[in-house]
Amino acid sequence: METVVDKVILKSAGAELLPDGRRGLRIHGWEIETLRGTILTSLAHEEWEERLKTSHLPEMVFGENALVLKHLSSGAKIHFNAFDALAGWKEEGLPPVEVPAAAQWKFRSKPLQQVILDYDYTFTTPYRGSEVIEKDKEAVEVKANLEGEASIQWENCEEQIDLAALSLKEPILFYDEVVLYEDELADNGISLLTVKVRVMPSSWFLLLRFWLRVDGVLMRLRETRMHYVFGKGETPTVLRESCWREATFQSLFAKGYPVDIAVYSDPSTISQRLPVIKKTTQKLKIPHKV
Amino acid sequence: MSDLDRQIEQLKRCEPLSESEVKALCLKAMEILVEESNVQRVDAPVTLCGDIHGQFYDMMELFKVGGDCPKTNYLFLGDFVDRGYYSVETFLLLLALKVRYPDRITLIRGNHESRQITQVYGFYDECVRKYGSVNVWRYCTDIFDYMSLSAVVENKIFCVHGGLSPAIMTLDQIRTIDRKQEVPHDGAMCDLLWSDPEDIVDGWGLSPRGAGFLFGGSVVTSFNHTNNIDYIGRAHQLVMEGYKWMFDSQIVTVWSAPNYCYRCGNVASILELDENLNKEFRVFDAAQQDSRGPPAKKPAPDYFL
Repeated sequence: METVVDKVILKSAGAELLPDGRRGLRIHGWEIETLRGTILTSLAHEEWEERLKTSHLPEMVFGENALVLKHLSSGAKIHFNAFDALAGWKEEGLPPVEVPAAAQWKFRSKPLQQVILDYDYTFTTPYRGSEVIEKDKEAVEVKANLEGEASIQWENCEEQIDLAALSLKEPILFYDEVVLYEDELADNGISLLTVKVRVMPSSWFLLLRFWLRVDGVLMRLRETRMHYVFGKGETPTVLRESCWREATFQSLFAKGYPVDIAVYSDPSTISQRLPVIKKTTQKLKIPHKV
Repeated sequence: MSDLDRQIEQLKRCEPLSESEVKALCLKAMEILVEESNVQRVDAPVTLCGDIHGQFYDMMELFKVGGDCPKTNYLFLGDFVDRGYYSVETFLLLLALKVRYPDRITLIRGNHESRQITQVYGFYDECVRKYGSVNVWRYCTDIFDYMSLSAVVENKIFCVHGGLSPAIMTLDQIRTIDRKQEVPHDGAMCDLLWSDPEDIVDGWGLSPRGAGFLFGGSVVTSFNHTNNIDYIGRAHQLVMEGYKWMFDSQIVTVWSAPNYCYRCGNVASILELDENLNKEFRVFDAAQQDSRGPPAKKPAPDYFL
């Protein structure tokens, strides 16, 4: 999925690819890298369940997959990984969503002893990324250190991500997409958390997307975009926009949209049909020194 | 060489049959499958295989590891189609082998062998793409209705795609199901193809989706005892290591789609049972990329917003 670009273009943009077969590049004081591995082994699966205090995880958890963006001089690191996203799922703890067949099942004769499981099997997460400051190879959790000098934190802002600038067809120096977790909801739809990134000569841009479709019931799209323009202003500033959309199939049908489930396989094409339920814009000022 | 042998050779090269050939093949397969029991009796030695999901080249890897049919006797536990790129070729090859060697390969139905599921998860689209019409999908999904629901190896190993049902205590109860229909949304037939074993319940559990049973260790113990079964062989759930025993070796999940969806990085396995029912798992990896033929389409960098 990552792509090979012309060395000349890279050089003129002041970028260099990461060595030793790593996926990613260094550009204007940032190191941007994607990591990829297999789904969790059964052993790791149990370990994660224990650490997250849950007995259920998505069927496919790509525990080694990550997108990491490091600001080299400050040690600030923005990264995306399945574990933190699942910790967010656990914390939000939404009630389960019933599938259409559930209505019929209510009339089935019940076995004598039956336990009804009630965890959020859609793995919906409010996750918007993780931040740490790495100093002398020692990672300091930002959240745990809000009062110290080393803290960096997101603050609400009015600025918007410059979509016009991002629409320009600048060369893409690095592009990749990684899956963090995925579940097929036992063939009742899909729950998918992915993050993709593109790095151009003037900026980097990423999209973290949680996509949920419970067939016949609802669709949920939670997207977080981050944009950073190289060499703009004194303080390096990352903009972050989160947009949550959600709609039931019923409400879409009521508006006259098609009933065919196959139409709803690609979140990019249907996102505009889903009403926005929450939107925030924030910025992160990266300290010069930590 | 008979037409059928030629078709098998063609399918082994991952070349689909013509629409009229598919129609004729399905008619012949129907005559064989309609005679099979809901609990098809299978003799050992036999090799158990789990989900394939249209990963044709990985199935060829499976045959390399397990041996060719008819030399090896196979029992496939369903989910031949959907998700992979080659559901058409995968299913037709298995069906052609069934027609050619009916006593050397047994195909039982998985939850993806259904009209409704294949319309969402790929097989329908693949048929339309490869044939320009829905006819082949119709022939194949009509055949799905005739496939057996379970098998029993030497009366000792009960094999099913998903798992048990609270409506089923005995194998005889399975034998009374009228299976020639689309997989229903509830009831015994649905459960056999859909249910899962679950560690955290002892008896029966209901999925948080509000539909779908989970069964615990005591349910398996009682079923195996009642039916004088050593253990249950099933598929239906992805296992990173290719197979997984649960409940003190009373049930085993066998998964035969390596690197599932071309990106999970898991290994696959098949379970070989010799004439004395001694077990050997054969674990295998995905086929090499270069022997896998075209697709593996990689999305080009895109100017996403």
